[in-house]
Amino acid sequence: MKIKLLLLLLFIACAGKVNAQTKTLILQDLSDFKPQAGNWQIVGDVTMNPDVDIHEKPKQEPVASKLKGKKDKTTAESTHPQAVTFTAGKGILLNMNDDKKRDQLITSFEHGDIDLELEVMLPKGSNSGVYLQGRYEVQLLDSWGVKNPSFGDIGGIYRNWETEKGKIYVGKAPLSNPAKAPGLWQKMHISFQAPKFDKAGKKIENAKFLFVDLNGVRIHENVEVPLPTGGPIENNEKPLGPLMIQGDHGPVAFRNIKYTLLKQVDVSLSDLSYQVWYGNFKVISDYTVLKPNASGSLNELTCEILENENEYGTLYKGTVTVSDDATYKFSLVYTGGARLIINNKELANFQSGDGWWRNDEASIELKKGSYPIEIYNYKNASWLPPRLGLLVQTGSSLKPLHAYNSFPPDDQPVASIFINPGNEVRLLRAFIDFKGDYKQRLTHTIGVGDPSGTHYIYDLKAGNLVAVWHGDFVDATPMWHDRGDGSFRPRGATQYLFTNQPLAFLASPTAAFPMVAREDEMKAGEYRPKGYEIETATGRPIFKYSYEGIEVADKIYPGKNTIVHSVEIKNRGTKSGLYYKLAEGKSIQKMPNGAYAIDDKSYYIKTNGFTPEVRELNGVQELVVPVQGSFSYSIIW
Amino acid sequence: MKNIRLFLILILGSFASATFAQLSKTPTEDDYYKIISLPTPEGILLEVGGVATLPDGRIAVCTRRGDVWLVENPAMEGGSTPRYTLFASGLHEALGLSYYEGALYTAQRGELTKLVDTNGDDKADIYETVYQWPLSGHYHEYSFGPKITEDGSFFVTGNVAFGDEEWWRGESRVPWRGWTMKIHLDGTMEPWATGMRSPCGLGLVDGEFFYDDNQGDWQGSGGIFHVTKGSFTGHPAGLKWAGRENSPVKITTEQLYNKVDARQVKKEGAYIKPENINDEKDPAFFYEMKDEFKETRIPAVWLPHGVLGISNSEILQDNTAGKFGPFAGQVFVGDQGQSKIMRVVMEKVKGEFQGVAFDFKSGFQSGVLRMNWGHDGSLYAGLTNRGWGSAGTTTAGLQRLVWTGKVPMEMETVSAKPDGFEIEFTQPVDKKTAENLDSYFGRSYIYKYHPVYGSPTVNDEKLIIRGVKVSDDGLRVRVVIDNLRQYYLHELILSGVRSESGLPILHNTAYYTLNNIPEGAKLPANELSTKRTQAAVVKPTASKPTVKPTTNSSKSLTYAEIEPLLVKNTCTACHQTNKRQVGPSFVDIAKRKYSDQRIVDLIYKPEPKNWPEHETPMAAMPNVPRDEALKIAGWINSLLAKTP
Repeated sequence: MKIKLLLLLLFIACAGKVNAQTKTLILQDLSDFKPQAGNWQIVGDVTMNPDVDIHEKPKQEPVASKLKGKKDKTTAESTHPQAVTFTAGKGILLNMNDDKKRDQLITSFEHGDIDLELEVMLPKGSNSGVYLQGRYEVQLLDSWGVKNPSFGDIGGIYRNWETEKGKIYVGKAPLSNPAKAPGLWQKMHISFQAPKFDKAGKKIENAKFLFVDLNGVRIHENVEVPLPTGGPIENNEKPLGPLMIQGDHGPVAFRNIKYTLLKQVDVSLSDLSYQVWYGNFKVISDYTVLKPNASGSLNELTCEILENENEYGTLYKGTVTVSDDATYKFSLVYTGGARLIINNKELANFQSGDGWWRNDEASIELKKGSYPIEIYNYKNASWLPPRLGLLVQTGSSLKPLHAYNSFPPDDQPVASIFINPGNEVRLLRAFIDFKGDYKQRLTHTIGVGDPSGTHYIYDLKAGNLVAVWHGDFVDATPMWHDRGDGSFRPRGATQYLFTNQPLAFLASPTAAFPMVAREDEMKAGEYRPKGYEIETATGRPIFKYSYEGIEVADKIYPGKNTIVHSVEIKNRGTKSGLYYKLAEGKSIQKMPNGAYAIDDKSYYIKTNGFTPEVRELNGVQELVVPVQGSFSYSIIW
Repeated sequence: MKNIRLFLILILGSFASATFAQLSKTPTEDDYYKIISLPTPEGILLEVGGVATLPDGRIAVCTRRGDVWLVENPAMEGGSTPRYTLFASGLHEALGLSYYEGALYTAQRGELTKLVDTNGDDKADIYETVYQWPLSGHYHEYSFGPKITEDGSFFVTGNVAFGDEEWWRGESRVPWRGWTMKIHLDGTMEPWATGMRSPCGLGLVDGEFFYDDNQGDWQGSGGIFHVTKGSFTGHPAGLKWAGRENSPVKITTEQLYNKVDARQVKKEGAYIKPENINDEKDPAFFYEMKDEFKETRIPAVWLPHGVLGISNSEILQDNTAGKFGPFAGQVFVGDQGQSKIMRVVMEKVKGEFQGVAFDFKSGFQSGVLRMNWGHDGSLYAGLTNRGWGSAGTTTAGLQRLVWTGKVPMEMETVSAKPDGFEIEFTQPVDKKTAENLDSYFGRSYIYKYHPVYGSPTVNDEKLIIRGVKVSDDGLRVRVVIDNLRQYYLHELILSGVRSESGLPILHNTAYYTLNNIPEGAKLPANELSTKRTQAAVVKPTASKPTVKPTTNSSKSLTYAEIEPLLVKNTCTACHQTNKRQVGPSFVDIAKRKYSDQRIVDLIYKPEPKNWPEHETPMAAMPNVPRDEALKIAGWINSLLAKTP
C-alpha cells in the first residue's frame, strides 16, 4: 500500500522531461533511502541556533522518542542552548548523529548523469557532504565568512587521502564562497556527468561536474574528477551509483531534493535534402509558394549551402532516428526566423526575418525509430550572419546534429569588466534586476562595494536597502560592454530583501506600505530623494531623503558577515502612524538568539533595542516597527 | 642695431619663403586647426560623456563609466603632461557636465546631480539629487545635459526607449522620455518640449536653447532644432504624455497618426518593420505638420545624414572672441560616428532660426561627443565610440583642437536673400573664378517624415543659377537662383571659386536650410555676372560635373573625376580611398575582387557581416542612380590595378 502510494506520488512528480525522469523527494518517510542506524529522520521543521557551535557546547543527547519522528512536538527544554531543535512532521530530512548512530545515507536509486537540486541547512561548526554516485563528494560545511575557501569548504570537491602514485586526487576549491550563516537554508544545484566506459569496462571519460551552483553562484564549471574523492562507498568507478550523504560529522538538514536522471541516447539525421530561395521574405509562406532557386542533398545539416549571406529562405528535410523510447529535447539555434517540425509536430515557429541569435527549445516524445524532420530558416537582417544549428540533449550534455561551421561558437567572446572596491569604498549606480528578474528591474539603484567584502544595493527611488551580499562586488560587463543595458550584476550570493518605500505613514496598522511604480514622478511632500554625502572618515555614503517633512539619513555600515542599518530621523513631528518595514517574506520566525529569521530562514534581522511586530498582509509576513525617532538593526545572512 | 634688424629681416624672409613653399601645396584642415591628444595615464579610460571648464582653467570630464576627472594643465603649457584627479565616481552613465556657482552638475540616466566638494580636497563629498525623473530601465534611456541658462535653470533631454517586439520603434515608456525638461534649482521640473528621439547634442546659442537629433525613426536626417517651450520636433513617442496637465504640447498621438501613417502593420501575428517606400507618390514632410499643429518645430538647420555627420552631438557656440579663429559667435557641432566637427551659422528669417552648415574639422581619434572651450581658446573634444563605432579608430579619449593662427579660405557664412544667397568669405575671392557661373553648382532636396529609420534625400533638383554678383572688396558673393524652394535643404558647391591668392575653398560646400525665404528686393539682372568658362558648350542647367562618356570609363576615371559622384551620393561620408573610416577604404573593397555588378548590389543591399570589424553597418543606398553606382563600382575596382 505504502509503496503504491509512493509510486503514485513519484509519477506525479515526474514532469515528463528530457529522456529522463525528474523527481522530487517528498520526504514523507525514509523509503527513498537504504536502511540506516537511525541518525537520519524525517521532521517538520528545524531550527538551528546560529550562535551555538555544535562543538563548543556539551552535546545534548537528543530525546530518543524524537528520533523515530513520533508525536513529540519539540525537543525537551534545556538550560543549555541547543544547536538544533526540530518539530515532528514531514518534508525535512535531518541528521543528528552521535557516537553510535552515524551512518551515511544512501539512496535506493542509482544514477549516471544527473541534475540535482537541494536545500541544505547546517548548524554552526557542522560538516557533511553529498557524494555523487557515492564516490565524488561535494563538501558541505559551515564555511560562513571564510574569505579564501579551499576544497574543504562548502561546495569544494573534496580530496582523497591516497598516497600511491597515480591515485592521488588533491580536490578542487570552489571559485568563491557564497556560504550563508548557520541555520539558514542554502541552495545547491549540481549538474553531473558520470564517467564513461568502453565495452571492455575501461574508463574513457572522467566523471565531470558540468557545474555546481551554491546559493545561485557558480562555484565549479566543467571540472573533471579523475578519481573518487575521500570516503567513497567503494573505491572504484562505475557507470551507475547511488547518491550518498555523509552522516558522521555533525547535524545537517535537507529539503526540496529534486533530481533528474539523464540517459545517454543516440540521435542522428539522415536522408537530408535542402531547398533554397533568394529574396526578402517576411514570413515563411512568402517563399514556400515559390519555385526554389536551388536544391540538393546534404551529408549533414548545414546552412553553408547559401550563396547569399542575407535575404534567403530555406527548407531542410530529412529523417531523424532515435535509439530509445524517450522524451527528446531539441534546441534549434539560428539567426532570422525558423520553424522546426518533427514527426509532423511543430516544435518551434518564430516568423520574423531578424531574429537575433535565437535558441528555441522543445521536447517531443518518440519511440525508438525514424521520423521525418523539416527545418525552415530564413533571414532578412543584413547585420546577422547566416546561422543554423540543431542540438539534442543526451545525458547531461547537448549533442550538435549540424556541421560545425553551420553554427560555429563565438570566436571572440567578451572579456568581463569586474569592479572591486579594493581598499576604498566603491560606489556605482546601475539598473539592477531585482531577484535577477528583468521585469522587476530597479532604475535608480546604487551598488556600494565595501573593502570588508560585504556589499549592498540601495534604491534611491524608494529610500530602501534592496540587496546584500558577500564576496566579489559587481560585474559591470552588462553595462559597459558595447552599448550595454545599464545594469550590473552582483557577483556574490545575493540576498534580495524587498522593494518599495520602507518608511510611510499608514492609515492603520494593517494598511499596506506604498508601492513605487516605474512611471511615478517625485511629488511635493512625498518621498523625495536628496542623494548622498560621503562620510569623510569612512568614505561611506550617507543617503538622504525627506518624507512629509521628515528628514532621513540612512547609514549602512557593512561589517564582517553583517550589515548595520541606522535610520536617523529628524523633524519627526507628531503625526501618528509612521512605520518602517524592516523585512518581508513568506514567513518570519523568532529565533532562540532573539533574531528574526526572514522568508523561510533566508536571512536574519536583529534589532538593536526595540521589538518589531510581525504582521501578515496578503499572504506575506512583514517585520515592521512604529517610528518615533532614530533606530538601527542588523542584517545577517 | 642695424645688424639685428637685418638679421630679423633675413629670418622673416626665410619664414616667408617657407610659408610660400607650404602654400604651393593645397592646404588641408591641419594647416589651420591642429588636433592635439591629451595623454592619459594607463588605467584611466576617458569615454567622455561631458566636458566642463572650471574657472581656474582646469577641464572637468565625466565618463560613460561614471567617473569625473579634473584635468589640470590641460593645454600642456611648457610641454608637461596634464594631471588627473578623480573628483567623483560611480555615476550612472553621466552624459553631460556643467560648472555652475562652485559645483559641477551632471545628468545621470535617472537624475540631475549636483556634485560639491565641501572640504576642499578636490573630491566630491556631496552627490545631491537636484531632480529625479522616471525610467523604465531600457538601455536606450540615456539622459543628456545639463545646459544651464543665465537664470540658473537646467535643460536636460532624454532618449526614447525602443519597443520589445517593434524594436525599431521609439517609445516613451515613462513620463518625459523623448522630452526636454527644464529643471529649476528649487527642485521643480517644467516639461519643456517633446519630439526628441536621441537628443544627444544640447547647446545654448546667444542664450537660446538648441538641440540636435540623430537620424532614426521619424527623423529623416540629423538636424538642429531651436527649442522653445511647447515645441514638437518630430518624434511622436513623447506625445504619450501630452495629456498631462503640465504638458506644454497638446498634440495627441492619435491626432498625429491621423496625419501620418505610423505603419504598425502585423503579418502572421508579428509586426512588420516599416521600410522606405521607393518612388513614394506623396510622402509626408515634417514642415507640413506646421499647418496641422502649431507646436511643430522643424529643424533650423538640417545636417544631411552621412555628409555632415551620422550621429550629431554637442552644440557649442564660439565665445572665444577670436582666440579660436575667424568664426567668433558661430556654432560648432560634433559628430560621433564621423569623428568630426561641423560649423553652423544661423540667422533669423521671418522670426524663425534657419541657416547654413559646413564641414569644419575631421580626424579625431574617436567619436566626438562633447566639446567645450579652454581658457586658451582651444576646443576640448571629449571622445567615445563604444557601441556605435566611429571613423576614429580609438574607443575613447580627450583631444584638443587648436587654431594655428592662419585664416583658412572658407565661406564664413551664407545668408538667405529673396532671390538666392549671399556668401561671405574669410578672404577676398579671385574675381575671375568667382564671377564664372561654372564655379558653382548645387541642388536642393528634403527628407521624408515617416516611421522608417531615416530617409533618403527626395525631390532632388538641380539649382538653376541665374547669375552672381561679387562685392567690390571680394568678400561677398550674391548667388541668384531661379528655383529656391522653401523648407528645402540647398546644397551649394563652390568648386571653382578661388581666393585672391589662388586657394580653393577649404570646405567648398554649404548646406543651407531654407525654412523661410526673406522678403525684399531682388538683384536687377543687369548687375549679375553670367559668365561661363565655355558658355557655348555648357548649358545653364548642367551644373553637375559630367563624367567622360567612354565605354570603359571605369579604368580611366581619376579621383577628381569620381569625387563629385562619391560626394553627391554620400559615399565619402564613410569611405576614403586608402584609409579605413566608418566603413572600409575603397582599396580594401577593391581587394575583395567583387564584380562591378556585385558592388552595385552591395550599395543597394549592403552586407555588413562581410566587414565584422566595422561596428556601424552600412545603410542601404537605394537612391544612388544605377549608372552612377556602376561608375563608382568600376572606379573602386580600378584601384586594385593602381595599388601594388
